[in-house]
Amino acid sequence: MKILTCPMNGPRNIDEFQSFGPMREAPDPEVASDADWARYLFQAENQPGVVVEWWRHVPSNYFFLAERDIVTNRVLRTFDPGEAE
Amino acid sequence: MIQQVHPRNPGGAAEGLALPKGPLDLADLTAAPRFGLKGPGSTDWLIGHGAALPEVNRLADWQGMRLLRLGREDLLLLAEGAGEALDRTLESWRAHPGPRGWSAWREEGWAWFRLSGPAQDEAMARLCAVDLRPTIFPGDRIAQTRICGVEAVVLRGGRGFDILFDITLTAHLIGRVAAATHDLCQREVEP
Repeated sequence: MKILTCPMNGPRNIDEFQSFGPMREAPDPEVASDADWARYLFQAENQPGVVVEWWRHVPSNYFFLAERDIVTNRVLRTFDPGEAE
Repeated sequence: MIQQVHPRNPGGAAEGLALPKGPLDLADLTAAPRFGLKGPGSTDWLIGHGAALPEVNRLADWQGMRLLRLGREDLLLLAEGAGEALDRTLESWRAHPGPRGWSAWREEGWAWFRLSGPAQDEAMARLCAVDLRPTIFPGDRIAQTRICGVEAVVLRGGRGFDILFDITLTAHLIGRVAAATHDLCQREVEP
């Protein structure tokens, strides 16, 4: 069983979570081109290394952030969005 | 007058399903009074009315009710045997101009069951992946997790485990608990 530690609920079975993909800055709607939006919406960076991702603990509907090494699939830490820089 | 139809009532999706009895006892408390309060203003309104709010995933007693904190601004009042206190609370809440949060409709959207009996801890260990032993999970804790594959809120009351979950999954949960009961009883009679 894979275990992920939710900052609010503690260690839980990975089945209780849903991934929402990497955290990234949304384009500025005032200046972004169609190509910028298409890239933002449909193209993943998928570079090796550590990414910060949105995750949701489904039973409590709590969204949080996780640092994950996408090469080793190891989660380095999880934290509340309020702690993000 | 609106008549609520619960899943085990005539015409409901779980009509006719027997609740397990014996080493595992499953009681249906879905008709018992409760109220979910959610959104900005919820905690301030409760604090303004004298409630000492517990931390998230903890519960506290308040005016004869159990006050569960499911999130920063997500609260649930369980008023089993305290319907009058809940009525007074709701009257005051409805009269408040706001902000006061909003109703999460927990009295309609969630079923409320209680699992009790001598085999309750062993059964919960089979039905839920979270460690719910009393030393790890005392009476003031709440677990928001999955039981029988169903997302649920679980707490350990003095009379068993209270389980609140999506009311549309009532028949599924009863069936899974009945299967667990059957397994436990079978094992007890084996040599």
